[in-house]
Amino acid sequence: MKKEKKSLLSKILLGLTATFFYVPILYIILFSFNSSRSLTKFEGFSLRWYEKMFADSTMMAAVAYTVIIAVLATIISTIVGTLTAIGLSKSRKLIRGMVEQVNNLPILNPEIVTGIGLLMFFSALGVKKGFLTLLLAHVMFCIPYVILSVTPKLRSLDPNLADAALDLGATPMQALWKVIVPQIRPGIISGALIAFTMSFDDFVISYFVTGNGVNNISILVYTMSKRVNPSINALSTLVILLITVALLIVNIIPIIKEKKGRKLT
Amino acid sequence: MKQFRNMAVPYIVWMAAMIVVPMLLIILYAFTNKGNDVATIRFSLENFARFFSDTVFMSVLKRSLYIAIVTTIICILMGYPIAYVIANRSEKSKIFWILLITLPTWINMLVRTYAWMGILQDEGVINGFLGLFGIGPITMIHTTFAVVLGMVYNFIPFMILQIYTALTKMDKSYLEAASDLGANRVQSFLRITLPLSIPGVISGITLVFLPAVSSFFIPKLLGGGQYVLIGNVIETEFLTSGDWNFGSAISLAMAVIIMISMYITKKVDNDPTAKGRGSN
Amino acid sequence: MKKMIALALGAALLLSGCGGGSSTSDAEEKYGSSTLKLYNWGEYMGENLISNFEDEFGVKVIVEYFDSNEMMYTKLQAGDAYDVIVPSDYMIERLIKENMLQKLDLSLVPNISNLAEGVKNLPYDPDNTYSVPYFWGNVGIVYNHNNVDPAEVERLGYGILQDTAYKGRIYVYDSERDSFMMALKALGYSMNTENESEIEEAYQWLLQMNDTMDPAYVTDEVIDGMINGNKDIAVVYSGDAATILDENEDMSFFLPTEGTNLWSDSMVIPANAENPLLAHEFINYVLTHDASYDNSETVGYPSSNQEVLDEMSAPEGVYAENEAYLPRTDYEKDEVFEDNPVLKQKLAELWIKVKASH
Repeated sequence: MKKEKKSLLSKILLGLTATFFYVPILYIILFSFNSSRSLTKFEGFSLRWYEKMFADSTMMAAVAYTVIIAVLATIISTIVGTLTAIGLSKSRKLIRGMVEQVNNLPILNPEIVTGIGLLMFFSALGVKKGFLTLLLAHVMFCIPYVILSVTPKLRSLDPNLADAALDLGATPMQALWKVIVPQIRPGIISGALIAFTMSFDDFVISYFVTGNGVNNISILVYTMSKRVNPSINALSTLVILLITVALLIVNIIPIIKEKKGRKLT
Repeated sequence: MKQFRNMAVPYIVWMAAMIVVPMLLIILYAFTNKGNDVATIRFSLENFARFFSDTVFMSVLKRSLYIAIVTTIICILMGYPIAYVIANRSEKSKIFWILLITLPTWINMLVRTYAWMGILQDEGVINGFLGLFGIGPITMIHTTFAVVLGMVYNFIPFMILQIYTALTKMDKSYLEAASDLGANRVQSFLRITLPLSIPGVISGITLVFLPAVSSFFIPKLLGGGQYVLIGNVIETEFLTSGDWNFGSAISLAMAVIIMISMYITKKVDNDPTAKGRGSN
Repeated sequence: MKKMIALALGAALLLSGCGGGSSTSDAEEKYGSSTLKLYNWGEYMGENLISNFEDEFGVKVIVEYFDSNEMMYTKLQAGDAYDVIVPSDYMIERLIKENMLQKLDLSLVPNISNLAEGVKNLPYDPDNTYSVPYFWGNVGIVYNHNNVDPAEVERLGYGILQDTAYKGRIYVYDSERDSFMMALKALGYSMNTENESEIEEAYQWLLQMNDTMDPAYVTDEVIDGMINGNKDIAVVYSGDAATILDENEDMSFFLPTEGTNLWSDSMVIPANAENPLLAHEFINYVLTHDASYDNSETVGYPSSNQEVLDEMSAPEGVYAENEAYLPRTDYEKDEVFEDNPVLKQKLAELWIKVKASH
């Protein structure tokens, strides 16, 4: 009885959560089919914004750049950030404190400050702006989020576990991969998710560090200064669709495999 | 355990190059005035004096902190139960819900904010719905409510993720021990679950509060431009006025204020957890 | 997780694979290089402008966008190289002063003869030595003639923005230049004034508007907002006004008799351009009838090409009977913005204070 009540309550909460998160998304999808240019008044069904989007090579290239940069930045920053967080947790308190404070700077600074700082930095070095500078900048502002996500998990970790593994003859690498990493995996995953989000949605910093025609989706959206048009909604719908399909495939493949495996035995 | 220490070294080097050096440039700007040549550089506190002595800027700063604090509190109050419910679901369902919450953040922020503009308008979805019951229209767009709503929508996924991370994989043996010792559910939540999830809440606060203070697109679009926050001022100084010196000074001042307050939060957080558990 | 990444990468590579260029060796011989780097405002070009230019000349155009002159200026200052950029009047004046532009070789731009009379030889570049106009227009008042009496708008001019009968019903353009222009003009001063007391008066004018009218400060949301009829009065660029009038017939446009801003965005070639020859070719191409027509039709802004301007506003044209399309020229109280970084900085700060005070 009590349990039922509780599960009902949690179901209501989850339902409300889903509504809150997805009403705007449904709104975006709806307006991608708007026949007029308006983003707030629906005037009829049309596919013109999809046609426009697919015909726009700049836009399609921007999707590609956004995804590639986000994936690479996420992989690099997750690995580096996790290793750094583990390293820091074993470092002296003074160093740890200082690094954590500096690490917060990119999160704390308005993006325009980070963006202009990096613009001056890259210009002073004479680096050609484009894909590489964009990737470096994204890695730079993603790592702090990973460290921030992994650190609390490390704090609740029993420090004796890894020692025990080492005493039992594990190499440091083994202790790292077999003992520490599994314990902090949720932190790593949420760090990776946040890093991906930050990279995927970044405008200001990206704008100042890129060049030579390398644009991401955000740059296109924000610089549509004259009027944002629903092809952006079409693009967002496409992104949602791509991600959903990718997730479905990732989730379904193991099930199919499992079934096949069962048949064989 | 010292063998792992070195793993932080590459990042510290990288951090020095990519974060500290650009930050030093900003600091240099903050303490100098326009038109200063490297040869005739002259340091001054003029920019800071100009900022702190101006009542308008001070009220903007206060309003920014206020909105960011309100946003953070709402994110905790809403985010904690959501994270708690998700963390107690089955393994598969957990992943599903976490992805469900993260997915909207991959849609461009400006596009999501435009959607909210449409929803909150006087002729928008909500007022249309209320109109069915003869209520309204209630003016929501260009109000504090709209700004806070936009911020909560944008930042709450990070809060949920952090709290969820802290709650999941929590050592269940603590809870079992507690119930063996006769603690009821509320007691064991307050005594065990909550304290153990505090580091996650702190990370969540960092991820919500810091970007909320300096955000400027949301107040601009949902606040109708009247909700000038410190992020808008900094953006104006850099991009419209071209006064990098003053812009740098404001952001530096803000960074220092926030770092100090974060430091205090951390201290508060450290004390209860430090005792009773062996720190390394 | 790994699979997800592999999938995403695969999709990305596939996408980036599409849309390659054609053979471009002819262009390379003629111009030295077959790529043109263009830096323009977002959503500011005809749908086929770039692709047509690429096809006709066998070149590749790399486009980047900005949404404010200052953003563009920041990147230019950092040494980023472009072949053609399209800044506004006062910014061109600054770039000329700072030797960041090269003089045009007008023999390579024969179509300059197509330029509309009113947009030629403006004060920021009196002989079009450095710049060739792209779009131009004014700033005026769009209002809903069902809720606001046209005679009232004509009588009050900018003053209508202080008329509390319309409290909560106005959009004001969120930029220090346009808002101070409005206030200074309303008070009968020059919008380029450096007179302290005149600026102070204008500041007080704006403060009063802010405190009594509950205005919404917007930039481009104003277009959608007025098309939907969310408010009754808005200060907008004439090109945007043309779009609004086109889509909402309740709206009318008025250019205040107190004078307004005659603005223009023009094509220039930066001093560090890597392919100036092709840049000239592009500028010349934009001035052709077809390219100008495509631009003006898509964006809704007045063309710098006289023929297109006439055609669009003719009785059978796209913007026939649209009082916002044709810019007002030769009106003595209209002015062009002058570059004055110190003044601009001051106004920007005052403007933020206006918005923050309530």
